[in-house]
Amino acid sequence: MTISRRALLAMGVIAGGGLLTACGSNTGRGDGGGSGPTLSHWYHQYGETGTQQAVNRYAAAYKKAHVTVQWRPGDYDQQTAAALLTDSGPDVFEVNGPTLDQIQGGQVVDLTDLLDGVKDDFNPAVLTPKTYEGKIWGIPQTIDMQMLYYRKSLLKDAGLEPPDTLDALVDAAHKLTTKKVKGLFLGNDGGAGVLGGTPLYAAGLQLVTDDGKPGFDDPEAARALGKIHQLYAGKSLLLGAPADWADPSAFLQGLTAMQWTGLWALPQVQKELGDDFGVLPFPKDGPSGRPSVPVGAYGAAVSARSRNKEAAKEYVKWLWVEQTGDQEDFALSYGFHIPARISLAKKAAKLKTGAAADAVSFATDHGYAQPLLWTPAAQTAYQDALSRIIKDGANPDDELKTVLRKVSAELARVQKKKP
Amino acid sequence: MDDALVRAGRALRLALLIALALLFLVPFYLLLRNGLSTEQDITSPEWTFFPSGLRWGNVRELFDDSSVPFARSLLNSALIAVATTLGTLVLASLAGYGLARIPYRHADKVFYAILGTLMVPAAVTFVPSFVLVSSLGWISTLRGLIVPTLFSAFACFVFRQYFLGFPRELEDAAQVDGLGYWRTYWLVVVPNARPVFAAVGTIVFIGAWNAFLWPLVIGQDQSAWTVQVALSSFTTAQVVRLHELFVAAAVSILPLLAVFLCFQRWIVAGVERSGID
Amino acid sequence: MSRRRTLWFWIFVGPFAAGLALFTYVPLLWSVGLSFFDAHNTVTPTHFVGVDNYTAMLSDDAFLASLRTFLLFTAFIVPATYVLALALALMVNRVRRARAFFRSVFFLPAACSYVVAALIWKMSIFNGVRFGLANAVLDFFGADPVAWLSTTDPPWYWLVIVTVRLWLQAGFYMILFLAGLQRINPVLYEAAAVDGARPGWQVLRHITLPQLRATSVAVVLLLVINAFQAFDEFYNLLSDARGYPPYARPPLVYLYYTALGQGQNLGLGSAGAVILALIIAVVTVGQARWFGLGRRNSDG
Repeated sequence: MTISRRALLAMGVIAGGGLLTACGSNTGRGDGGGSGPTLSHWYHQYGETGTQQAVNRYAAAYKKAHVTVQWRPGDYDQQTAAALLTDSGPDVFEVNGPTLDQIQGGQVVDLTDLLDGVKDDFNPAVLTPKTYEGKIWGIPQTIDMQMLYYRKSLLKDAGLEPPDTLDALVDAAHKLTTKKVKGLFLGNDGGAGVLGGTPLYAAGLQLVTDDGKPGFDDPEAARALGKIHQLYAGKSLLLGAPADWADPSAFLQGLTAMQWTGLWALPQVQKELGDDFGVLPFPKDGPSGRPSVPVGAYGAAVSARSRNKEAAKEYVKWLWVEQTGDQEDFALSYGFHIPARISLAKKAAKLKTGAAADAVSFATDHGYAQPLLWTPAAQTAYQDALSRIIKDGANPDDELKTVLRKVSAELARVQKKKP
Repeated sequence: MDDALVRAGRALRLALLIALALLFLVPFYLLLRNGLSTEQDITSPEWTFFPSGLRWGNVRELFDDSSVPFARSLLNSALIAVATTLGTLVLASLAGYGLARIPYRHADKVFYAILGTLMVPAAVTFVPSFVLVSSLGWISTLRGLIVPTLFSAFACFVFRQYFLGFPRELEDAAQVDGLGYWRTYWLVVVPNARPVFAAVGTIVFIGAWNAFLWPLVIGQDQSAWTVQVALSSFTTAQVVRLHELFVAAAVSILPLLAVFLCFQRWIVAGVERSGID
Repeated sequence: MSRRRTLWFWIFVGPFAAGLALFTYVPLLWSVGLSFFDAHNTVTPTHFVGVDNYTAMLSDDAFLASLRTFLLFTAFIVPATYVLALALALMVNRVRRARAFFRSVFFLPAACSYVVAALIWKMSIFNGVRFGLANAVLDFFGADPVAWLSTTDPPWYWLVIVTVRLWLQAGFYMILFLAGLQRINPVLYEAAAVDGARPGWQVLRHITLPQLRATSVAVVLLLVINAFQAFDEFYNLLSDARGYPPYARPPLVYLYYTALGQGQNLGLGSAGAVILALIIAVVTVGQARWFGLGRRNSDG
């Protein structure tokens, strides 16, 4: 008899496994309010405390659909990209894009009509990269910008003025470096990732020209990038901090005298350092140079695979076009961002004084956004080359030639293709 | 003189062993030290061997953190690891036994087809697997997290090798008693193969508990997060809370260490008698 | 009779084989299919491009560099793990007191995930600032802190990558060696002693190592397969929000960024993956042949 008992046991295990998984399939969606269709809305994980609670609150307040918020840690771009290939992806998602390939591949929905009548109120710097052939594919949420933070006291002790040229920055970083404190923090990779095209714009160049050609086929480019290598070679750069450039920790812990990070970190820096800091754009380089700061915006997009496209569009319109109160809260209550709406940015009291006001004027005067034609493949090729220039001291001219070849091929590929 | 030399050699070996053991324990020490420190203690310029006061409150803080469902993720990981282990043991041992003992013309071909998948890196099939699972509607379900991982070619391989070396006499006796394959297997083979089950089970359990990439992509809902995914959420780009990160890491390995210490003897015994080597 | 046996064979093997077919072979064939298409942001492409993806991948400097990186990594990690695991096993096997303790200590890291280990290595031991353990030690000797993961000259990042894997893996292979050592007949050692072989190197070379041959073959095979599949520690140690540096980038990491990140060039990524899988297959089969694993039960 034991035989069948054992066999039964084995069956039981299998069946039990099935049962277990069946029970597990209800994962408790349903934290949002409202009736009607269910929409799933994805955000990448923001670091600022309170953001998650805030977006949950916005979603719960929507009455025409049942919105569930998903808060995604880890490699967000990879997760959304994979999820967009399936039917179980998000309905609405924020995206650092959408990318040109996502638009051309028909993965996102045309949102042009959502902005009827208010289009001019959106900051053109961040709306343009979300526009392709006259149509808008993502609604900018808030404007992120990055800049250089420096400790006033440390510069003063070293007898330095805030650097206004790239050469002065190299010099200042060198002079500020001591045994315990480094001069400048550009991220643990030495700056290749976060700087991106910023030094090119500071040299008066650009990533992609208006007529869709590489915009850095110029000896100035190699010279500017070579100077970042000087920073690295002079051992003035902080490397290997536990928290990367996006987190002001290294600056606040006194590991570095200057750090490149986002406007979002401003409240935290203000709280801990009081008046002892200032902000700067990336300083200009060369005769035709001008200061530069990168601006960008996460956009709210609707997946073309959504089963409720119209409901999703309506929800996006409600949250990111109509609910100006929530937009203001989102931009300014949890770390600082510039509202994507010009009207909101104008009345934001928090951005009117001190370093925040400086930041806004940098963004207005010197901001550049990564063009839509600058594809991830182009970005990778450029970033690899930049890393080799900075860290290995590779010849900038040679590296840039390779990049130009790859970028030209990418530009040709995406401009040939029509959606 | 020879004797003194041998003794010196022995002492040297013991010293080396102790030194290596200490080195191997350093990461565990760091987990505890950092996990029970304040943020300031961890980042203080002067190295402190142990923080001034052990902050057990960090553990509370971890479970109270409303933005990361840590307790839920521990439960998910436990469910997944247990179900994966049981499922894998049943499926792979049956297959291993069939391949080793039941004569069939194409058995070798089937075996090589199974073994061949060991050489395919997971990343190769990752995207199509994901699309497949999502078209089954299994995203954010425990099913999606468990079922696709149940078919371990490695486990099947180990079982087959083990059963090849299993003494035939036992089964022959069972056959004489009129037991078919099925009953022989459950009645005679399984009870006498406990070490290999324990060995494979432990390895599978560890693998399931530690898996990262698959749960990250399949477990999209926070309620379907596993402990590794929750852990990685502490290392986001924008703000890193070191003490919380380390206390979470420490908590996440505790269940495994317990399983490990309990079953270590079995793993060794299993490895000894199985075909892993 | 044989038909009944066939039926029983499939009752035992069938469920497993069916699952493997569905969850491994279907995606595998799908990947192979994708590799012949221009599959940007889609898994159901329509634009057939023949072997274009293969030629593109094989003439891609970054992919070729990743293969070289991998060769370098394997050439180091396989012998290093082998030697460390064997040394640990020999020492633990001979020690008289607290044997279980030592075995546990070396085996314990095998329970840790790459996520946890990478976190400890990156954030606490080898971070580039003054409160990292390695830099605290350097500071004690008066040396300047080193940015372990960010310095390419000298390439300290290899130290970090290699030690993390050694720590995680050595214990497991030590257990395999211990099991092998247990099986060596003590008579062999007695005979060697009678023949005047000196304990230590001679015995190791003429008795222990030959007796461990089967174990060694298995260990090397497993180490090579694992090295080929290296992804987790590289990704967790070196990636950041903006991607991955151009050094220490093994093939799987490169393919991950090509196919799965925002790049989403699934055709090109699949082609690279197929090339990689073929290389793994050739190396593994070659190795198995060379060691004579094809013969059944040769490893007893």
